[in-house]
Amino acid sequence: MARATTTSDVFNAIGEPQRRRILTLLRAGELAATEIAEELDLAASSTSKHLRVLREVGLVRVRDEGRQRYYSLDATGLRQVHEWTGGFERFWAESLDRLEAYVGELQRKEEDDACG
Amino acid sequence: MRVVEGIEREEDRQIVTTRLISAPRELVFRAWTDPRHLERWFGPYGFTTTTRVFEFRPGGVWEFEMHGPDGTVFPNLIEWVEIVPPELLRYRQQGGRDDDQNAFETTVTFADRDGATELTLRTIFRTKAQRDYVAENYGAVEGAIETLARLTAYVGELEGAGA
Repeated sequence: MARATTTSDVFNAIGEPQRRRILTLLRAGELAATEIAEELDLAASSTSKHLRVLREVGLVRVRDEGRQRYYSLDATGLRQVHEWTGGFERFWAESLDRLEAYVGELQRKEEDDACG
Repeated sequence: MRVVEGIEREEDRQIVTTRLISAPRELVFRAWTDPRHLERWFGPYGFTTTTRVFEFRPGGVWEFEMHGPDGTVFPNLIEWVEIVPPELLRYRQQGGRDDDQNAFETTVTFADRDGATELTLRTIFRTKAQRDYVAENYGAVEGAIETLARLTAYVGELEGAGA
């Protein structure tokens, strides 16, 4: 339920427009990194950077064949995205997780102050 | 079939959320009364909140912006309707000053349960359609909604195929 806010976050990965374009492209099936770069009109280096982020969060998987790297969609990360789309319920579930943690912090702080 | 006229039933227009928090209700209530506190917890993980105006009194407003993890900005306006420390808060919420056609009202109750707090949020929308829309889309980062919808549909296909 709790979602960490790091660069390895699925949601961060999907928040970047070029990476969303890559995911959309891959819906049609496996593609070589060079084909993706060509399709998006991106430099090979930035394409590979985006692909690395997507791979790290489990949104794409990679397969080496000869000198080419082939990418396809991976359901592992997509499942987390699927779980995220809870709208209002998710908003409050996470807010209340945070509220609970924060109130705990306040409580400890006040106990410390009372003791000190 | 009977044609229902006028307003839809309240239970079809509301969302109720409850949570038991192991802290006294005075403290839980206090976490709602100051932007310094609210900004520390209001919103899902990855969201940040910036307060523009904060007036904690009936008729006063909390005007703030929420920033989604991809930088999407959500203007927000909460007007406090009723304040009964440490038992109850009632507020009207809308997306910024000019969004009052989408406003909805929430009542938060803080019930003492042997030193812990049972928090209940009851939000009433104008129509069932508004409730259903908010239930699905509230806090979803705009730029990603389309992709999310398409990808979640795709996950369903993958799972159906046993992938």
